[in-house]
Amino acid sequence: MRLEKCWFCSSTIYPGHGIQFVRNDAKVFKFCRSKCHKNFKMKRNPRKVKWTKAYRKLHGKELTQDTTFELERRRNRPERYDRVVVENTIKAMKKIEEVRIKRESKFWESRMKGNKSKERREGLAELEQSIHMVKAPLALQADPSLTLPKVQAKIKVKVSTEKQSTQAMQE
Amino acid sequence: MGRCPNHKNSKKKGYSHKTALRAKFMKKGDDLIHTELRVDERKPLPVDEDLPGMGQYYCLHCDRYFASANIRDDHFKTKLHKKRVKMMKGAAPHNQVDADVAAGMGRPDNGPKLRESSSVIPVAMEAF
Repeated sequence: MRLEKCWFCSSTIYPGHGIQFVRNDAKVFKFCRSKCHKNFKMKRNPRKVKWTKAYRKLHGKELTQDTTFELERRRNRPERYDRVVVENTIKAMKKIEEVRIKRESKFWESRMKGNKSKERREGLAELEQSIHMVKAPLALQADPSLTLPKVQAKIKVKVSTEKQSTQAMQE
Repeated sequence: MGRCPNHKNSKKKGYSHKTALRAKFMKKGDDLIHTELRVDERKPLPVDEDLPGMGQYYCLHCDRYFASANIRDDHFKTKLHKKRVKMMKGAAPHNQVDADVAAGMGRPDNGPKLRESSSVIPVAMEAF
């Protein structure tokens, strides 16, 4: 049993999921869900659609070249069963997954590194540019035309409900 | 999704008629055209009575047949054709291997060739 990858979004297709399209030259296209299938039918390019893995990798949003990606591969040659190899492989899978997650988080951190200082810089620039729009509180007090007129609070009035109930009784 | 193809302002107005839709499945895929354009020698076009212009006036980029050389040359001047030429000049269209690589898989590994040397064991996962 193989876990295939979606042609459009590169997500894993588990058995019983998704749809296959076989073109008239016998080429097979596998899709994880109808969303990807529809996008394919519309002839959209996955490299230009922002939510696909192909886009994210191409535009440097995610870790691309790494040795941890070397383990999972399409191996079309059958191999003789060996208990030791299977055991080692399962061990390695867990270990490599850990390493991959660590590296990915590190990559994300380095990608987001300059953001905070950039935001700060932009904020400061905006403040400097439009400081004239801000009025000091003392100036507001001196000129009442700058503030909105105060809205009078609504006063609750008690309405006696007894009269209405007695009328209803009479009817 | 998308705009109604029959809408009066739609650019795809001509493609919603049933003849155009029927031809949709006969058209070659972008990846096929991309590989065909990179083949050095071209065979002469076969004569086909059913195609316009006996199948002699063909645009490889758009996979279309024309009735005469003049009409084909007019087609070469259109925006649609120029767009396709530009697209075909670029990198190869997306394929399954690209999708697998983007998903975090390596390139397919089938080991060394078996025919050349008889005593070769396929690459086992010993590197751990």
